[in-house]
Amino acid sequence: MKNLLTILFTAILVTGCGQQNIRQDGTVASDPASHTTFKPIMVAAKSYERDRMSDSDLDALLSLEDEVVEVYDPIEPFNRGMFWFNEKMYLYVLKPLSKGWSFIFPKPIRNSISDFYYNIRAPIRIVNAALQGRGKDAYNETGRFLINSTIGILGFHDVGNDHYNLPRQEIDFGTTLGHWGAGPGFYIVLPFLGPSNVRDGVGLLADYYLYPPAYLVNNDLEINTNYVIIRAIEGVNEISLDAGTFDAILEQTLDPYLVVRDAFEQHRRALIEKDK
Amino acid sequence: MKTFKQHYFILTFLLALSGFSLHAQAGTPIDQMKSTVDEMMSVLRNDSTWEQKEPVLRELISKRFYYRAMAQRTLATNWKKASDAQKKEFIDLFSELLLFTYLDRIKAYTDEKVEFKREKLKKKTAVVYTEIITGTANIPINYKLLLSGSNWLVYDVIIEEVSLVSNYRSTYKEIVKKDGIDGLLKKMSDKNKELTASK
Repeated sequence: MKNLLTILFTAILVTGCGQQNIRQDGTVASDPASHTTFKPIMVAAKSYERDRMSDSDLDALLSLEDEVVEVYDPIEPFNRGMFWFNEKMYLYVLKPLSKGWSFIFPKPIRNSISDFYYNIRAPIRIVNAALQGRGKDAYNETGRFLINSTIGILGFHDVGNDHYNLPRQEIDFGTTLGHWGAGPGFYIVLPFLGPSNVRDGVGLLADYYLYPPAYLVNNDLEINTNYVIIRAIEGVNEISLDAGTFDAILEQTLDPYLVVRDAFEQHRRALIEKDK
Repeated sequence: MKTFKQHYFILTFLLALSGFSLHAQAGTPIDQMKSTVDEMMSVLRNDSTWEQKEPVLRELISKRFYYRAMAQRTLATNWKKASDAQKKEFIDLFSELLLFTYLDRIKAYTDEKVEFKREKLKKKTAVVYTEIITGTANIPINYKLLLSGSNWLVYDVIIEEVSLVSNYRSTYKEIVKKDGIDGLLKKMSDKNKELTASK
């Protein structure tokens, strides 16, 4: 689920922007609402282009190369099928559940739940930071885990981020493999978990063993149902905190599959490059 | 035409009243970017209906976004192959799609804050680093700007290390490969119609 969430979040990009800061105090000098004659004027975007640079100046300034993250996707038909499945799961199961979830729990509680989930993933970040030889990050992540689990009341408050200037980081076994030179391999869309690739898929498997809920085994079955339920709650909670990013991608882009694929690969590549 | 002029006058008047300026402002990239975001926030913050806010926001965004530069970078090598008519149509459709998604996103705002971190200048281009502070995380959003006259204009937005323009480019490249530039324009125009109808 983490990768699906990552991409949902990442995907804010595709929709142009996150959300804006709205302070409740202060008023605006003029209020367009008071003018009944005020109607939308479709000021054509192009009307601003007149005063701008000449085409040749612009061409000289900007590269016209096809800089894209090339994604190797030999199993695209399968992946598109999985994408379709995940889309339906999102629209008809997870989203309705998240609506109900929001109805029961107010936003501050859902934020705390999200912080809690972030905190119990600390072992993944600590071990992988160490594996990547990032001593300072391993130290910081350990510190944050200790602070959040105590002062932050079992991790329900990310005081490390909010008060100790320890910004959140994404560190996992996929980025560890990338750090030591592993390429992404081919792109793969996993059921429920969303976009991934060979490298990050292996990473997900490895990180499972560093994720505490994985040890809450409740039966002798192949599937650890406690784990599945815990992850499902996390997914529903995260969706409830997101303002319809995935919906926007599905509705507003020409090919949502390609949009998500590119956003995922760009994001993962940047994470690995950043800490090299 | 008369009504358009009247409306334009009212809009200008309102913008002037709220301290907006339709003229070029001096200032560093970060100052200019901040002033646009602040203006947008004050519009979003007031009590008027979305129908009243939308044209003002469109105006503010269109002043700061360099649609042609974004369009050109999105098509990249296909830009060189496109005819002037195709380029013009692409810029129009592209800016409408971009505006739609952008406005749709900011419509859903809640109580997030924008922090302006720093800027990086390189001759006629710059990057402004910002962060959106939400209840659970800080989302880094960087704006790539270029200097046109005295205005710093946005030609790419990088959210969580993902370039918006690159993302469009990779998608559109695949579509052009399959359906040609005219096929892409048709798809964009259909999408625009669909989005306008659903509004």
